[in-house]
Formats: sequence, C-alpha cells, structure tokens
Amino acid sequence: MSVALELAGIRKSFDSAVALDGADFSVRPGEVHALLGENGAGKSSLMNVAAGLYAPDAGTIIIGDEAVTLSGPADARRRGVGMVHQNFKLVKPFSVAENILLTNRRPRYGSGLREICAAVRRQADELGFSIDPERRVDTLTVAEQQQVEIIKVLVGGMNLLILDEPTAVLTDAESERLLETLRRLARSGTTVVLVTHKLQEVLRHADAVTIMRGGRTVATLDPAATTVAELTELTVGRTVSPPARAETTYGQTRLNVGALTCARGDGRIVVFDLSFHVRGGEIYGIAGVSGNGQSELAEALIGAREPLAGEIWIEGVGAIGETPAAARRTASLAAIPADRYALALAGGLSIEDNLAVAKIHTGAYGPAAFVDRRAMRRDAAEAVASFDVQGVRSTRQKVALLSGGNAQKIVLAREFSRAPAVVVAHSPSRGLDARACAVVHERLMAARDRGAGVLLISEDLDEILTLSDRIGVITRGRIVAEFKRPADRQAIGRAMVDHA
Amino acid sequence: MPGPHRRHFGRLTLDMRQHLSPWKQLGFLAASFVIGIAISVAVLDIAGIAPPTLLDELAGTLNADSLRAVLVQAAPLVLVGLGASLAFSIGFWNLGLEGQMVFGGIAAAGISIYAIGPEPARIVIMGFAAAAGGLAWVLLAVWLKLRFRVNEIVATLLLNYVAMYFLFHLLYGAWQDAKTAFPQSTPLRPFERLPDIEAGVNSGLAIAAVSVVLVGWLVRVSRIGFYMRFIGANPGMAKVIGIPTRAVTIGVVAASGAAAGLAAFVNIAGQEGRLTQSFFNGYLFSGVLIAFLSRNDPFAVAIVGFLVAVLYLTGQTLQVFYQIPFTIVQLIQAIIVIAVASSEFFIRHRIRWTR
Repeated sequence: MSVALELAGIRKSFDSAVALDGADFSVRPGEVHALLGENGAGKSSLMNVAAGLYAPDAGTIIIGDEAVTLSGPADARRRGVGMVHQNFKLVKPFSVAENILLTNRRPRYGSGLREICAAVRRQADELGFSIDPERRVDTLTVAEQQQVEIIKVLVGGMNLLILDEPTAVLTDAESERLLETLRRLARSGTTVVLVTHKLQEVLRHADAVTIMRGGRTVATLDPAATTVAELTELTVGRTVSPPARAETTYGQTRLNVGALTCARGDGRIVVFDLSFHVRGGEIYGIAGVSGNGQSELAEALIGAREPLAGEIWIEGVGAIGETPAAARRTASLAAIPADRYALALAGGLSIEDNLAVAKIHTGAYGPAAFVDRRAMRRDAAEAVASFDVQGVRSTRQKVALLSGGNAQKIVLAREFSRAPAVVVAHSPSRGLDARACAVVHERLMAARDRGAGVLLISEDLDEILTLSDRIGVITRGRIVAEFKRPADRQAIGRAMVDHA
Repeated sequence: MPGPHRRHFGRLTLDMRQHLSPWKQLGFLAASFVIGIAISVAVLDIAGIAPPTLLDELAGTLNADSLRAVLVQAAPLVLVGLGASLAFSIGFWNLGLEGQMVFGGIAAAGISIYAIGPEPARIVIMGFAAAAGGLAWVLLAVWLKLRFRVNEIVATLLLNYVAMYFLFHLLYGAWQDAKTAFPQSTPLRPFERLPDIEAGVNSGLAIAAVSVVLVGWLVRVSRIGFYMRFIGANPGMAKVIGIPTRAVTIGVVAASGAAAGLAAFVNIAGQEGRLTQSFFNGYLFSGVLIAFLSRNDPFAVAIVGFLVAVLYLTGQTLQVFYQIPFTIVQLIQAIIVIAVASSEFFIRHRIRWTR
C-alpha cells in the first residue's frame, strides 16, 4: 500500500458557491500530514469528502489502493477513515461509552456497553488519556471531549484519523500534549491528517504538509525543508506583519471595573471581586487559561450578564442597572464577544440588518415610522467593501452564510463604525486565518492609537503579547498579576499556573 | 459490503441551499399546498364525497351569498391570525388567544349591559373595550413571565381555562338572559351591532383589513419591526446591541392580545349578536395555524385567513349535507399544514441525482 488516502481532482459546490475546485491530496501510511490553509480555503470541505460526509461533484477517492464511492460517514469508517470534527459530534447528556457505542454498533446494548467500556479504558491507557467511560459527556472539559472523539475513532479500528483544527479549542500545554500523542499514534502505524492554520504546529509536528488556497491544493512540502515565510506566502499569497505600534500617551481612565463579582448560569461564582482600569490610548490584555472567568467577565462588561456585585464605569457612565445595554451604547462601547453567533450577530438575518442594528436608534436610517432601506443598503455595501468581506453576493444574504473570519469582519465593521471610546474584545481572532486575524489586530491597534481604551481578553498568549500595553493575568476569577510592556512571556506563564 | 457495482446506480445527494429566490420559494409553497389539497380530495373521496360532487360544492361556495359568509367568517380569523403571528415573531408563544378573546368579549358585552357611553359612540367604545380586555388578559401572562419566570406557554394556555370559567360564571349568573334562560347574555341593541358595509358583510371585515395594514406597517416598515426581527432571531444579541427588548416585547405581546380581543368583538358584535358560551371555540388552533402557514407575515395572514374561512364553510356544508363528521374538516386542516410544513425542507435543501 503506497498511499493511505488519495483524493484527485475533487470538486464540490454548494448551490453556486464553489468550495473545492480541483483539489488533490495524497497521504502515505503512518505519517502525520498537515493540511494548511486560511479559513474558507476548503480544508474542512476536502476532509469532509474524505470522511464520506460530502459527496464530491467530480473527482476520485482512493482509500488503500482502491477507488471508492463513499455512501456516507459509516461507509468511510468501514474503510478505516475516521474524522474528529471541529464541532464535536457528541450527545451531551449521554455517557462517554454510550456515545462511542452509537458509532460503533454492537448487537446487544448491555454487553456491547461493557465491551466498549473495556475498549475505551484500554485505548485511553495506551494514549495516556484519563477518560472514565461512564462519565457524562457534558461534565468533561473541551480537551477531554476531544480525547473522547479520538478514542471513538480508534476504538472503531480505524487507521486513518482526520482531525479538523484540533488545537483551536486547546491551551498551549494541551495542544502540545495532543500533538505528541498524535506523533506516537503515527509511529504505531495510524495515519494522521491534521487540518490546521497554525504554522508552528506544521513545522514542529508534521511529516508532510499540503497547502490549500481558494478551493485548490497549491503545494505539498516537507516541513523540514521549508520556512514560516514560505508557508505564509503559500497560504496567504503575501506575508503578514504585526501591526505597527505608535507611541501614545495614556489618557484618562475610560473603562473602570471595581470589585466585580459574577456567577455562571449554574450559580457558581467565577469572577471574584475583580478590579482593573483601562486608560485611553492603551490596550489592556487579560491573559489566562480558558475557563478562569474570562467569558463571564466579558459578558458582564458588554451587558449580556448581570453581575452579582461591583461596578462597571464606561466613560464615566455607570453600566449596571435598569437599562445597562442602552447606557453602554451611549457611552460608545464596541463589543466583540467570543461567541459571535450568540452575542454579536443574528445569523438568520441579513448582512445589512446586522450592520444597521447598532445605529438605527440614532435615526441614521430614517424616522421611527419608516426604516430607510436604501440608506441601510448603501452603508452596508460601503462597510463590506472597506472591510474586504469575502463571500458577499448581496448585502441581503444571511450573515450565517459567511465563513468565520468574514462574519467577524461584519462585527468589526459595525462596532468600529461609531469610533468607540471603549473596546471590549474577547478572543477576537479565535478560529480566524492569518489575514483575517491581521485585520482584527490592526483595528484594535488603530482604536488604541486614536485614544480609545481597549480591553483584550484572550487565551492566545501571542496575541496578548503582540498587542498589549499592560497585561493582567486572570486565574480563578481574579487578576493575580500585572505586567507592563515589554512583558516576559515566561513570567506570565508562571503567573497563569502558580495561582491555579 | 457495498461493491463496485453500486456505482452504476448513482445516488441521491442532499445539499443545503445557500439561497433561493422568493419566487421559487413561493413556487414550492404553492406546489405543496396543491399536494395537500390533492391528498385531502382523496380522503374526502374515501369518506364518500366524489371529486365531482366536491367541485360542485366548492363552486357553490363561490356564489355571492357564500362569499359573503366567507368574508364574515374571515374577519375574526384574520384578527386572531395577526395576534398569533405578532407574538410568535418575537418568540413569545401566546397560546392564550381564546382566553384573550373571552375577556375581549366580556369587556364588549359589559359596555352593552351597563349601557356605558352615548348611544352613537357605543359601538366604538365596545371595540376599544374588547381590545383592552384581550390586552389586559395577555399582560397577566407577560407579568408572570417577567416577574416569576413562568413559561408563557403554560401561563397563557392555562389562563384560557380561567377566562372560560369566569365567562361561564357570568353567563350562568349575573349576565344570563332572563328571557330565554339559556347561558347567554341579553342580545346587543341594534346600534351595538357592527353596521354592514354591504348587505350581508359587516364592517368587521374593514376592521380586519385596517389591522392587516397597520400590523404590516409595524413589522415591515417601522423601526419596531426591525427590532422585532432581531428579538425573534437572537434575543441575547438584541439585548447586548442595545435594543429595548423588554419594552418591545411587552408592547408587541400587548398588541397580540388586543388583536384577539378585537376578533372577539367582531365575532360578537358582527355575527353572534350576544355573548355566548362558545363564541371563541377553535380560534386558538386556527390562529396558530394561520400564523404558521403565513410565516408570521401580516399580508399572508390575510390570504391564509380567507382560505381557512373557505375551509370552515365548505366543511360546514359537507357536514350538513353529507353527514361528514367535523373531524374530517380538522383532518384536512392538518393535512394541509403538514404538506406546507414539508415544503420548508425543499426550500432549505436541494436533492440531486448524482453518479
């Protein structure tokens, strides 16, 4: 067997949108093969074809030297191809073993479940995971759920494992552990395809890398014989540099948070007595391992969560009380929440509606009795052009049809259209490719240079280090340390862990 | 194991559609509606009404007299349809349309019984009272939801029974017509009846038409309609972006209750002529059905309301002349709902035959 999987001339379109336009991809058995590309380059689509989820419009699929037509994911699994999707396919209230039983059927439920439990324990031991097969999936962390997905594929006896952006949801340390596990798997004969847009992962862990751009595969390289610059150029088409940092003088305090205490939905208090301030002309970064209260803090600041106690002052306006959202708007707060589709966009509504909604109360789009659609459409077209939003055929199309990076650009276009005094951004570049990421960073930096106070909450330490003037480390809902630029990466890392 | 021979057959693939033009969407809707009708015709055939007879009866509905009856019946249906669609469009499941009708009816009849206001203005006062009655009854459920987080589906649905038994309390007690001793109120005086706009068609139809236009303006043209779309699509995001979600929700749901109250007014002051113990029966289901089939669009509500009225009256005719049970009429409603509901699937997906 010279190839584990070969895809040749794959084409796939959704309605009139072409996702794959003649993609070729070939993996040798027992290698870790990275598939690199920007958001919307077609990486996930191509792998969904290999996993039997999408039927290609044209092209051939060869699995283990045999040309095949896959009738579905179950057919692909029978042929040894298993995929761990970016959004896990797990039934939350069910146990680990039940979830794995669902895709690896046994004739009898009771004995099947026992068999699966034993197999899960064996497999987890082998991989060094500590997964209890009887735990309910919704009690597991994201990293553990991912381990369940990997075990699910391996228990089914599959020898080709595709992982779609597996490290997007993991911390640095977790990612490192996962990638080492994958290397070990490859050494024992499993073929691994790693879909990613992180160059470092490719250079350090892959045996081969295939680069995709615009629905086509553009090159397959040996990571040992390439450089970050070459990979960047191939994926993006041009090199991306970090935004320029102008010298600013720090102005007055624009965002002031005092003794803030917030609880999660289940009542557990996750932000304790937290205080900090952000001045005009600075970016204040909050670094930390995810799940230390960042989401609740961000939600309280943008008005999606009512804090239990404490104060939030935005431009001298109190933002807790009867109509906090309106108060925030008058104080001109730009909110960039981590979960775009939960808190920043109405996916089912049009691009122009989503852009206009922040400004409509000012009368910019006609009086209360008559919404001026034409003005709305004109502004939307302008915003789409100036933010270079891709994949827009009409501003009347649903926002949900845009890829992650382009949807984020819509959020940015809206939030920055009002020259905000305070920006609250939570993981603003999560899941975005290099170019979209650069746009986000440029905008944050521009807001800072203009004199706005920018709060950047991020689990991506590189992002924090590149952008922040000051850095606070959050652990268990408290700011445990503060650093001034230039900050020492090691020291921040220690602060994140020491107080854990 | 699937062998290579499978390839000769090709297979059906299902794709998500990114976009479908409104005209094509309408085409799918119309086609599924026709299919629903075809199945209904088959069901009626089995029940003993051959298609030609059915056609005769339908043609019978198309004469001027029946058309007038249809229009009279359509007015309250359109109004409850508007009530349902307003609340549903912002994600408030108002299943208390019948209770709101009851209180609308009680308010209107109360104005008549206690002879409140000068005679020439009486009918207008009754109309406003009916709207206020429906509004007040739905606000009770809104308050329970906002204050105690009581699910509005439960609250509105159960408050229907409270309203109904309060109506019975009146009709078997203080408000009972002394002359007939039936559980109904004394008849409305002539000037308390809705005047005809044409012989046989009362002005309830005009009230419904004006309401359609007003609601159409509200949801399609006004800024509140713009806010409503966001509250319906993503309430959490609507709040964060600064939309006054609470105020808009209270206002829109109040309008929903007022529409149900007006439906009661049109029914009582137009058709029934008095408060009866069953004037609201069936309007909850019809209202939900109309809102669903029209996808909460007020102008579509007008059309669907008219069609449901045709169905009602044809059903009544079949019942009387062919001894078809009323359940068959409900069955036909259900068939059409399911047919139209499944068109959604074809609007969202494309099925292709690939090799």
